Amino acid sequence: MMLKADNIASLRQYYFAVGITCVLITVLILRFFQIQILGYAQYSQKANTNRIRKVTTSAPRGLILDRNGQILVDNLPTYILKAVPGELSQKGKTFGLISDIIGLDSNTVLKNYKKYYRGRFIQTRLAKDLTFYQVSKLEENRLNLEGIYYQQFPERYFPSDVKASHILGYVREVDRSIRESSTNANEYELGDIIGWTGLERSYEHFLKGQRGVQFYQVDAYGREVGHVADFPPRDPEPGQNIITTIDINVQKKLEYIMEERRGVIIVGLPETGEILGAVSAPDYKPELFTGLILENDWNSVLYHPEKPLVNRFSQGLYPPGSIVKMITASVMMDNPDFDPHAEQICEGVYQFGDRVFACWYTTGHGSVNLTSSILHSCDIYFYKTIQYYELAKLAQYFRLFGFGQPTGVDIVGELKGTVPTTSYMNNRYGRFGWSKGALLNFCIGQGEILVTPMQVFNYVNLLATRGQALRPHFVNVDQISENIKPNLNTETWDRIIFDMGQVITHKNGTGKRALPLIPGMKVYGKTGTAENPHGEDHAWFIGWMNYHEKNYSIVVLLENAGSGGVVAAPVAREVFKDIVKVNQLVSR
Amino acid sequence: MIGSQSIPYKEMPLRIIWSVAFLSLVGLVVLNSISQQYQGRFLDTPFTKQFLFLFPAALIAYIIIFIPRYTIHKYTYTLYALGIIFVLLPYTGNPHAGTYRWFDLGLPFAIQPSEFAKVFTTLALARYLSDHTLQMKHFTSIIIPIGLALVPTLIVMNQPDLGTAIVMMTPILPMLYWSGARPFYLFLVLAPIFSMVTAFHTTAFTLWAIVLGVVIITARPKLVLSLFLFFGNIFLGLLSPYAWNSLTLYQQNRILTFINPEKDPLGAAYQIIQSKTAIGSGGLLGKGWGEGTQTHLKFLPVQDSDFILSVIGEEMGFMMISTILIVIGYLIMQILKRSFLSKDRFSSLALIGIAAILLAHVFVNTAMTVGLIPVKGLPFPFLSAGGSFLIASYIMVGLVLKLSVNYTD
Repeated sequence: MMLKADNIASLRQYYFAVGITCVLITVLILRFFQIQILGYAQYSQKANTNRIRKVTTSAPRGLILDRNGQILVDNLPTYILKAVPGELSQKGKTFGLISDIIGLDSNTVLKNYKKYYRGRFIQTRLAKDLTFYQVSKLEENRLNLEGIYYQQFPERYFPSDVKASHILGYVREVDRSIRESSTNANEYELGDIIGWTGLERSYEHFLKGQRGVQFYQVDAYGREVGHVADFPPRDPEPGQNIITTIDINVQKKLEYIMEERRGVIIVGLPETGEILGAVSAPDYKPELFTGLILENDWNSVLYHPEKPLVNRFSQGLYPPGSIVKMITASVMMDNPDFDPHAEQICEGVYQFGDRVFACWYTTGHGSVNLTSSILHSCDIYFYKTIQYYELAKLAQYFRLFGFGQPTGVDIVGELKGTVPTTSYMNNRYGRFGWSKGALLNFCIGQGEILVTPMQVFNYVNLLATRGQALRPHFVNVDQISENIKPNLNTETWDRIIFDMGQVITHKNGTGKRALPLIPGMKVYGKTGTAENPHGEDHAWFIGWMNYHEKNYSIVVLLENAGSGGVVAAPVAREVFKDIVKVNQLVSR
Repeated sequence: MIGSQSIPYKEMPLRIIWSVAFLSLVGLVVLNSISQQYQGRFLDTPFTKQFLFLFPAALIAYIIIFIPRYTIHKYTYTLYALGIIFVLLPYTGNPHAGTYRWFDLGLPFAIQPSEFAKVFTTLALARYLSDHTLQMKHFTSIIIPIGLALVPTLIVMNQPDLGTAIVMMTPILPMLYWSGARPFYLFLVLAPIFSMVTAFHTTAFTLWAIVLGVVIITARPKLVLSLFLFFGNIFLGLLSPYAWNSLTLYQQNRILTFINPEKDPLGAAYQIIQSKTAIGSGGLLGKGWGEGTQTHLKFLPVQDSDFILSVIGEEMGFMMISTILIVIGYLIMQILKRSFLSKDRFSSLALIGIAAILLAHVFVNTAMTVGLIPVKGLPFPFLSAGGSFLIASYIMVGLVLKLSVNYTD
């Protein structure tokens, strides 16, 4: 089949098109003639003696300070050793000399040289993290080190005696994949430093600073011979410092306490949500990521069976156990027909449907009401009372106190945990695959419910402030975004807070070991002993102390350590005592 | 020949094949020189990538030769629609370096759909203009074809990719001219753009007003119309500085950055100076393969694609540059000739459209490297590294080989 329409282009149109093509091509060829033939002498001289090299200098990152201005993260001026391949006459000899002087294996030098090689005339990195002393020794041998250069490079450095590694986070060198995934390609260059975890990442835009640009004239051998007048240099702008809410003294004490333990402690001010100290143990030295550390140390952290790199306080998911009983209590208190003084009998076991639910105290607590069931942490009271409520109601109250959603703490990568709802249970076990017995488990913080210690910290803060706490955070920015606000009636708050006081002060209270016996100090709390499928019970203690009209809240979680009242509560007492000590030191 | 699907190789324009082969070869040679900088990463080099992309590219061109002409004609609108969907695809993913030019299929390379969309748009235009015997003496009849080209262009402009958007609009003028539109109407389409741009410079605006007047008088439209055209344009021109000033500084900067992404004076000026220095220092014969100091000192930016001519200029000199320009000029003129000799209008229009795309790429890219126009990211056909553009170029070659032979299938 022939396409129907005939070509109607005329010879005149053809000549016109050819003419335009000829003219454009000719213009381009003439322009090349002008530059390459007529301008050859000029450009050739320029290429040889007047080359412009763009050099960027990295800006020092901002410092990270504690709440009193003490430095947590500083910059250490180190040096990077570089070589221009085209200027190395005897590579082997030069590298040998370098390895003698700086004490680095010459194979490593050669390995780096190959790794960073980008061309005969471009500076290639040989070694990093050189000290001033090493550089000055190299400088003495200047004459034998042709083609070797060094450049200053600010490396992260941790002058304080706390680790705080999971809070501070670490930085990374920008590589190809990071650069390609960045939304603005010009923001980072290869070899720049970028905050990768923790506060280093959350506050990257404050800490980063702006790198400087300088244009050097370089001669035919690539040596710098001065600045270029047409292009003024732009000095690097250091990043801004950030002041954290961390108190170095508190943090130090927490790290000391957790040294041989596994778990989390968070201490803070409930009203403002400020975190004074937080430890996820085991942790690691913050220097681990600076390149100042040996490969063996690195491997020992990376492959450690207890996973020190995991940030347990916002990424660890745990069953909360009895510490959520105040939520269950507030569900009951919301019911106008509920009488907190009504008593139930605890005989140590309770049969519901075809399942038998046990109290942790198998002998039974006898006759208990709401207050005594909280202070003894009796489970049977809760089983017997909660069975008349709906799962949806309990789930709603869990969410009201911030569970099942991120707290919004300023550390990236927070997990949100699990609050089982009816639809969650239906999805997981099928419409008829679970029964109301699950509700009995949830009301004492067992079963599918999983929380992060940071959510628990926010929960304690909400209890201590009657729902008025701000979001947990490590850095005071101008606008702390809204926290959840559980609106319970005054009677409920009063009851909960009174009961939490009883946990500590009553002679049979499970949390009595948390009381440091310091005059003028009031402590409120709740213990938890969470059963879990991975071994021994997790020990919880949550609460706050009031001293000189100031509140300090605490979350203690010790993994697989046993009973919360026996192991976690004494840890809280230690911390309370220490806070008093620190405060007196500061006020003096 | 009726009923025969065999390809009459004798009638194949061998000159076109040889030109393309020559340019592709030069491209590989230059890319290999640049690839020396990628020591130890052979698979990452632009040379390796380009070399590997040449096979599918050539295969696609070869397959196109066997597709009957009426099949191509039949599916042009489908291809055009696919092309538009294709340029929208990048918006479903994450931006690459702040733009939506590339579409990530999870392959080791990303695809730039706009490269293909411009070929499909040209085919659609060719079909529209050949199917409808338009009253080209009437101004209104050029509105639909312009709209046809405008849809993908606006999407690409939004990505943002001004270079490709310009190339996408380029074929429309020669194709309209080819199908008999009055040059005066084409002038009218361009006039408002000139009026707005020249308005910022008094002398330029005066000269433009004179040219406008002369053209309108020569074309002799009706008096009312000519007065409207003249004063309409002048009015538009006078208004545009006010419109510009009423924008906030931020909006102005957005527009300036859009027109010239390398607005940073250090950035753009630096690139052009380095490019001209590299080219100029090459001289007549160049510094030799792999010996370009400007290239290998990394003074030259994007040397494997946008500034590849600067590398050739430095290492192979004026001789090679002029050879390349003459060869590609010859290639384009061969396509023009085939377009003129073509018996059916669809093929003729498709060929002139393809010639226009190639010429636009060559001119914009080359003029940029020698500092004649602002920096625009457009590659040079067959030389520059870049898989999508290479394959799109070979699709055009396949279409040229197919459509330029007057057999009766």
